[in-house]
Amino acid sequence: MKKVVLVQRNELESNEHHNSRKLKELEELAYSAGYSVIGKLTQTRNPNRNYNIGPGKVEELANLVSESNPDKIIFYNQLSVMQIYNISEKCKCETIDKFNLILEIFALKARTKRAQYQVELAKLQYELPKAKTIVSLLKKSEKPGFMGLGGYEDSYETDLKNRISRIKKELKQVQKDYENLRQHRHEKGFSLIALAGYTNAGKSTLFNNIVNEDVEAEHKLFTTLSPTTRSLDVNGRKVLVTDTVGFIENLPHWLVDSFKSTLDEIFLADMILLVVDISEDIEDVKSKLITCHNTLWEEIEAVPIITVINKIDKVSTNCLNHKISEISYLTPNPIMLSAKNPGSIKPLIEKISSLLPEWKRRSLKLPISSYGMSILSWLFDEGIVHEIKYTDKIIVDVEARDEIIKKAEKINDNYRT
Amino acid sequence: MRKIIAVDISGRHKTSDGKYHLVCAAVAVSISPNHIERVHHVNTKYFVREKSLEIMDVVHLMEETVNNIDTWGTIVAEMGDLYNKPVDMVSKMFNRNFKYQESISERLAIQFAHHISHSSRKLLLNKEI
Repeated sequence: MKKVVLVQRNELESNEHHNSRKLKELEELAYSAGYSVIGKLTQTRNPNRNYNIGPGKVEELANLVSESNPDKIIFYNQLSVMQIYNISEKCKCETIDKFNLILEIFALKARTKRAQYQVELAKLQYELPKAKTIVSLLKKSEKPGFMGLGGYEDSYETDLKNRISRIKKELKQVQKDYENLRQHRHEKGFSLIALAGYTNAGKSTLFNNIVNEDVEAEHKLFTTLSPTTRSLDVNGRKVLVTDTVGFIENLPHWLVDSFKSTLDEIFLADMILLVVDISEDIEDVKSKLITCHNTLWEEIEAVPIITVINKIDKVSTNCLNHKISEISYLTPNPIMLSAKNPGSIKPLIEKISSLLPEWKRRSLKLPISSYGMSILSWLFDEGIVHEIKYTDKIIVDVEARDEIIKKAEKINDNYRT
Repeated sequence: MRKIIAVDISGRHKTSDGKYHLVCAAVAVSISPNHIERVHHVNTKYFVREKSLEIMDVVHLMEETVNNIDTWGTIVAEMGDLYNKPVDMVSKMFNRNFKYQESISERLAIQFAHHISHSSRKLLLNKEI
């Protein structure tokens, strides 16, 4: 395992508990990327232009690096290219920030073509504003001309832009395919349900339990990157449940933009299951829920949200009641369960059933003929057939989407006339 | 359902006459975690200032606008409106309960207040300048 040192600069007057939670999260991110943390440094001050942290703290960091010899230094705060260059020079160690670390994790997990494109796009968009500085830093030690690498640096920014537009084009096509698939699923009468929530809230474990699947679920951040969709029978109605990437605090806009097509699986769903880990400290639970609300609020339509309060087995009843009342203003339609316990899933299924778009119920008369039987078979596919009576005609009591009922009524009227 | 008063100020930038024409909008609403359930009262107030606003000025503007609303509720505002100062510090400056936006419905209420303050200011400036 590679070794890293973590560094965090805290804002003046910021909340101490919140700061320590952020550092803990950075440690978990490092662990997800396959690093072991051998040292941590924090400082509370306004940002320094050259190093982000103060020059004295950089000296301390350089000493720590020379003593413990880590492979990387990881900053919680976003660093400019100059700051990365200065710190790396001073400490003689590769330096990255939290967003680079997230990209490293995403690159490790990206298995589908879409995810690989998205990771590459995010990397390029992260690099683009820094391109000019990178070029000027390169030029410091290397002049174009005889035995130099010529004017390649000047084309660096243009190269990045070209690659970005190429990947965007590819992603647009992939996105179109997914949009068509979503449309097709809607037309086939499936309601789309998305699992959303902070990273490591237990979305994949819940997904595995409700759809009887076996997707990778680990106690690590960003275990899921590419969405997985499976069908589920909810009291006779077909729904499609999608497990997708988790949210994280202060995601930069370029990362959200890069993963827009993945996040659309959540934003364009007919219902959202917002999963929250209640076993954590109440301030952390609140803060993570606020991040989720912040990510969702502008993008989603007026769709129902069910808050799945997960990991209740790890909390005492008294503590659970206290926590539930503290977060009630952030938890629409709360359902408490332990995703690891399949027995506790039933109330969630009932809640999903009650919030699905309303279906109509009608009694229809069909001819006893091969045509009538084919209509009946179609009704079985598209809705719930409650009862069938065979007399001189087929009398069928069916519940289905509005458009199916209308179509069926038209057939029914044609048959009567 | 909870009652809140969402507040937003438009016009934090200097106009061509060298002054700050500000409109503060306060919207009293009942909310559930992800919906605005009912709108009780809306109030807007127009202010002109020679200098840009200090944090205490923002607090006074907000309180003055909210005082004309008879519904009780926690004042909710965007963090940026109060210079991203920590909530513990800012809430002590208000005479009423105060918090930053957190839930989806609180964000929607702020967006509602923002559209009101922004459009009211546009209407005023078109007439006056």
